[in-house]
Amino acid sequence: MRKLAKTGGGQQPSSLSTELVLPEHFLGFGLGLRTEHFQQVLDSKPKLDWFEVVSENFMVDGGKPKHYLHAIREHYPMVMHGVSLSVGSTSPLDQGYLRQLKRLVNELQPEWISDHLCWTGAEQTNSHDLLPLPYNEEAIQHVADRISRVQDFLGRQILMENVSSYLTYSSSEMPEWEFFNEVVKRADCHILLDINNIYVSARNHGFSAPEYLQGIDKNRVRQFHLAGHTDYGDYVIDTHDHDVADPVWDLYREALKRFGWVSTMIERDDNIPPLNQLLTELDVARNIAQQTLATKAQN
Amino acid sequence: MAKTSLSDLQKQMIDFLIDNDQAVEQQIISQGNISNQTRLNIYKNAYQVRLKEVIDNDHQMLGMYLGDALFEQMATEYVQGYPSNYTSLRYYADRLPQFLATHSPFDQHPIIAELAKFERLLLVAFDAADATLFNQETLQGISHQQWPALVFHLHPSVQLLHLNWSAVETWQALKRESTPQPAINKQSCWLLWRNSERLTEFRSLSEQESALMQMIGSGESFSALCDFLLISLSADEVNKLVSDYLTSWLEQGLFSIEARA
Repeated sequence: MRKLAKTGGGQQPSSLSTELVLPEHFLGFGLGLRTEHFQQVLDSKPKLDWFEVVSENFMVDGGKPKHYLHAIREHYPMVMHGVSLSVGSTSPLDQGYLRQLKRLVNELQPEWISDHLCWTGAEQTNSHDLLPLPYNEEAIQHVADRISRVQDFLGRQILMENVSSYLTYSSSEMPEWEFFNEVVKRADCHILLDINNIYVSARNHGFSAPEYLQGIDKNRVRQFHLAGHTDYGDYVIDTHDHDVADPVWDLYREALKRFGWVSTMIERDDNIPPLNQLLTELDVARNIAQQTLATKAQN
Repeated sequence: MAKTSLSDLQKQMIDFLIDNDQAVEQQIISQGNISNQTRLNIYKNAYQVRLKEVIDNDHQMLGMYLGDALFEQMATEYVQGYPSNYTSLRYYADRLPQFLATHSPFDQHPIIAELAKFERLLLVAFDAADATLFNQETLQGISHQQWPALVFHLHPSVQLLHLNWSAVETWQALKRESTPQPAINKQSCWLLWRNSERLTEFRSLSEQESALMQMIGSGESFSALCDFLLISLSADEVNKLVSDYLTSWLEQGLFSIEARA
């Protein structure tokens, strides 16, 4: 394998060939840390490069969750992934939530923090869902301004993730990827690209997933999510309770060709399988990346 | 048609999710074979299923006690009547005991609300703040002259629960997967806490120990606890009793060095 072009001086993820020179922000291949695996992770220290934790799961005062979180943090790099920032909501930013988030960031010292380009509630009501925004100038301005304020509060750039969606508002004026690019550009934040969500939304709205990838600013992408979905024929739902599907692996190959080495993880939220099964699935991601990027480097 | 503002659009979407207000359908464009109603219902279904799952996860023994049909009725009515205004789902079902105590048919069987209350306090004990334990060594470091004014602080996980029905016995039977006895109307007090292994424990308290725990929770001093016992017991009996209580409380990890912040 030829050496890849050097783009930074980051620490080599342990699970990859030492011949590779990788971008500074590349963490390697990780998993979402789930309660079911806490003890096994501590006991066996599985070979993976990092864990992503759902921030809200650890916004509790104490007890077992935080005990395991800190014990596992001693052995692995971590990134924090939130679901409640509601950065697209027209309700005021939740100051209490932001303070809790900052406290957890200080405790955990994560590599980075992410949340979703969406809104979760309004009018004092929380849907606890990742609801889509209209893709128009009003929303761009609104969301970019709020992301900037969040970044100012946290004192660091954050990552925004694309959500799966099932409807398009008539007030949308552009494709999702143009909206996404414009928001992250104005807010000067980074991108967490969920490959499965692109596939799901492409099926539900009839757009081209490869075109979506081509439309994304490759300098801002810092992380990939891979996940499973449920296919109902006419539409697809982002259930995160299955293995990664073949068309999503294909799209992952396309994403690697465009974005190069990007920290990749499998996000399983329901129907949680044994840890070894997820590690095997992560090996698939690692092998695909090595093959795809080795081929790209040789061309 | 005038463009709908982002805030109006979000209000319409929330109104659809919680009240089935159909106005938002006008804001959706038609795409492919999937109707707008189907697209919207994916969100509504997700909203309802997610909240019901939270109740199910938090209240597993209550669910077994009610059975599928009554649980579904309870969850549906609660989700409908109590839209979430919490950031975290951890607290979504906090009002369930109150709902069960005031809504038919559940209010006709008060043990149901008590079961729910017990399960919520188990959750509180599970993830309450950590604190440095006040143990035998800590006690030995305090001179005897200071004991009368000594104030113990309950560990943040410690919860006291007063019940009028046999809710805990019913919970225990369900946990063992055996059929609970018919509900019995009897007063009891239970102590719930998280032990040093971070496991949640609970036990019943006598009237006397319950009174002492309430006094400790109110910040009463050690001498006040002794005075309370001296009303009905001799000094020798109080000495022995206090020593026994302290030994068990400290072994069980019920006190912390500092009070809850």
